[in-house]
Amino acid sequence: MNEEIATNGNATETNETENNLLELAKSNPDGISNDDIKRHMPDIPLTEITAIINKCLKNGIFDLFKTKDNLLYKYKDPSKKTMVKGADAEEKLVYKIIEEAGNKGIWIRDIRFGSNLNMTQLNKVLKSLETKKLIKCVKSVTASKKKVYMLFDLEPDSSVTGGAWYQDQDFESEFVDVLNQQCHRFLVEKLEEANTKSNGPLLARNRSYATANDVHKFISELGISKVSLTVEDIESILYTVVLDNNAERIVATNGSYVYKAVNRFLPSAGIVKTTCGICPVANRCAETGLINPKACSYFTDWLIQ
Amino acid sequence: MSSQLGKVVGLLLIERFGPVVEKVGTSLYQYGSSPLLHIKKRTDLPLSKVKESLTILIKYQLVTFTTNQNENIANYSLKSERVLLMLRYPKYINMIKKKFGDTSEMIIEELLQRSYITATEALLKVHERLTKNGDNVVSFSQLKNEFVSLVNAKYLIRLPVNEDTDKPVPKLVSNEKEMHILPPIDLNLIQKFKSAENVTFPDNDIYWQVNFDRFHQDMRDKIIVSAFTKKFDENAGELIKMLLQQMYIRTEPWVDVSNPIPILEIKDLARKQKSLGQLNTFFDQYVNIIEQDHSNLIRKAGEASGGSFQIYLKEAYTQFAWEIVEQSVMEKFDTKAARIFRLVKLKQYVEPDMIQRLAMIPAKEAKRLTYQLLEENFLQIQELRKAAVGGSGPMKSFTLFHIKLDLVVRMILELCYKTLFNVMTRRNHEKITNKRIIDKKQRVDTITLGMRSQGAEEDQLAEIEEMITPPEREILERIEKTMKKLNTVELEIDDTIFLLQIYLLCH
Ligand code: SF4
Repeated sequence: MNEEIATNGNATETNETENNLLELAKSNPDGISNDDIKRHMPDIPLTEITAIINKCLKNGIFDLFKTKDNLLYKYKDPSKKTMVKGADAEEKLVYKIIEEAGNKGIWIRDIRFGSNLNMTQLNKVLKSLETKKLIKCVKSVTASKKKVYMLFDLEPDSSVTGGAWYQDQDFESEFVDVLNQQCHRFLVEKLEEANTKSNGPLLARNRSYATANDVHKFISELGISKVSLTVEDIESILYTVVLDNNAERIVATNGSYVYKAVNRFLPSAGIVKTTCGICPVANRCAETGLINPKACSYFTDWLIQ
Repeated sequence: MSSQLGKVVGLLLIERFGPVVEKVGTSLYQYGSSPLLHIKKRTDLPLSKVKESLTILIKYQLVTFTTNQNENIANYSLKSERVLLMLRYPKYINMIKKKFGDTSEMIIEELLQRSYITATEALLKVHERLTKNGDNVVSFSQLKNEFVSLVNAKYLIRLPVNEDTDKPVPKLVSNEKEMHILPPIDLNLIQKFKSAENVTFPDNDIYWQVNFDRFHQDMRDKIIVSAFTKKFDENAGELIKMLLQQMYIRTEPWVDVSNPIPILEIKDLARKQKSLGQLNTFFDQYVNIIEQDHSNLIRKAGEASGGSFQIYLKEAYTQFAWEIVEQSVMEKFDTKAARIFRLVKLKQYVEPDMIQRLAMIPAKEAKRLTYQLLEENFLQIQELRKAAVGGSGPMKSFTLFHIKLDLVVRMILELCYKTLFNVMTRRNHEKITNKRIIDKKQRVDTITLGMRSQGAEEDQLAEIEEMITPPEREILERIEKTMKKLNTVELEIDDTIFLLQIYLLCH
């Protein structure tokens, strides 16, 4: 859809002129006037130029502006989809609002504020633009019910898709879990190796630190990821390992984080070894009544384990 | 007051002293400090029974008394925490056994069983027991030494004495200075007594009791040492052990932060122990890594004389409490919930959006878990309202999650009491349902024992043993296993209680 419209011309000459004209327009984002054109390409007949300009206007490559005493042609990037003809004023307006939102998309409420259309009207317009494949609706990962609109051809920003962790707006929980485990494993192995190979606890400690880059390399080599992960992605995963209390991170002298597997202080506490300490219905459990410690089957199962 | 604790206290009192005493104790628990007649009225027991029960409870120091506004009447109150300590007796006994050996263990046992006795009584009693068992009889002077060591190490202290004898309600006081003065034990008199002479012992009005606090210090230290061993290694554990040991020289045991301990002292101590080779080689490094650790429990206090260090005890209890709470969340819910919980802990105040993003949990699940944690009070919610800029437009409101550790710790402590109650109830229940077969086993055992002492033949004995059928034997084995498990877990829950209590004590 975005092919060079300029190649439509038959004559190579025309083609060249057209290209020159486009270049000129591109380098002047504020627009060019007829005088500008004349100055830049004095040898081209005006008729030819007019024909090209008309074609460009028709194709939407040029926008026509009128200042006080001048007509200006402004270049419009054809990669930003242009409106097809037949669109009415409302569609154009909505399209423009959506276009400005870029690949982050825009929420329907904000379109309504921007366009001053009422909901029914707006929905109609959006539907029409969608069927024309000019815009699309993308589910944002930040809130499950929040949908944003953006131009059809745009690749949604990672803040919308969630980046590597999302597949069709679904968070890939298992993928994250696997990575979490692998990162943890890497750190533990590093710690163990440091402990056995180092002479003295200080050296062992220093050797057990890993940077996100180290872990990134390890994960890439494992080849468990279908998508390519960035170091920042790994950094996020490593933070979950920290949150699981399986690692600590400190700021290294160069300002970046380094990670190290850690042990906890306490062994498993008495209270979590019993069924009652972790029982979901403990609040409803009493001496008498349906849920009670004498007949409790959790308890029985635990006793015969 | 916790109703769960009340129930546990009730069960413990029944187990140890029977239902009448329990009734009095429970009434005191529920209504707090009360005079005799109120107790009588509430329990509906005859006055003599109430008095008898109170006597027992006072003897075991589970009930204390103070004067009422009317000076002729006493108000009695139950020391529920003290009742709970009865669960810990096996631990105390075991600690002494490990540290001082079997004879000292017997001394402590006597004291725990009888609440208080004079030193001479204790020696006579233990001597008697040893003779009866036919063990190598320990001489009185040796026994005396053991007793004195226990006093010196402050495991035993004097019982408070009545200050004013002419008041109707006695006031018991203990003199700080006298608490640890050694008992006047006269070995000659003991010998005379043994040969049936009539004697009066010089210490017949000096009573001794177990100093629970001293045991609790040991328990605390042990927890800290094993925590460092687990987090770092044995050498780090040894290092902390020595630090704690030296701490006592200049620090009260239950302060929040110890006084500075010169590290050279520790170094010297370590050098004297050949077994600490690894620690000695890398002494400074170990000090370094512990001091630099995230946990920040050991901090440098000054550079003078090679540097001195402080132990942040309160901070240690706090971190331990956090770990227990985190474990609870983890086991009660799952790893994801624990992750959310720790995120809120680390960030202190967290917006819902942040949770899903940083914890990397799908939005729906994150929300569900967060609200579950909220519902069970592991998390608290705080709404912040901010007027929109310019004072117009809708108010912006933020929801923030945070944790009140004190609250969560209290909640888990409650759960511990509940669990104790359930474990004890279950144990009683198992005993009752299997009473017939347990009784039978006991009868058979008594018979066998009797026959054996009369020199019965092996096949005769076997015949008796066979009275218990194989299926019965199976049941008995199962019961034994069950009981063992219940007993072990009961002690382990008490460990958790101990940790949570020391946290609460200093907050
Ligand atoms: S006895 Fe059973 S139902 Fe009651 S708290 Fe324990 S595990 Fe839960």
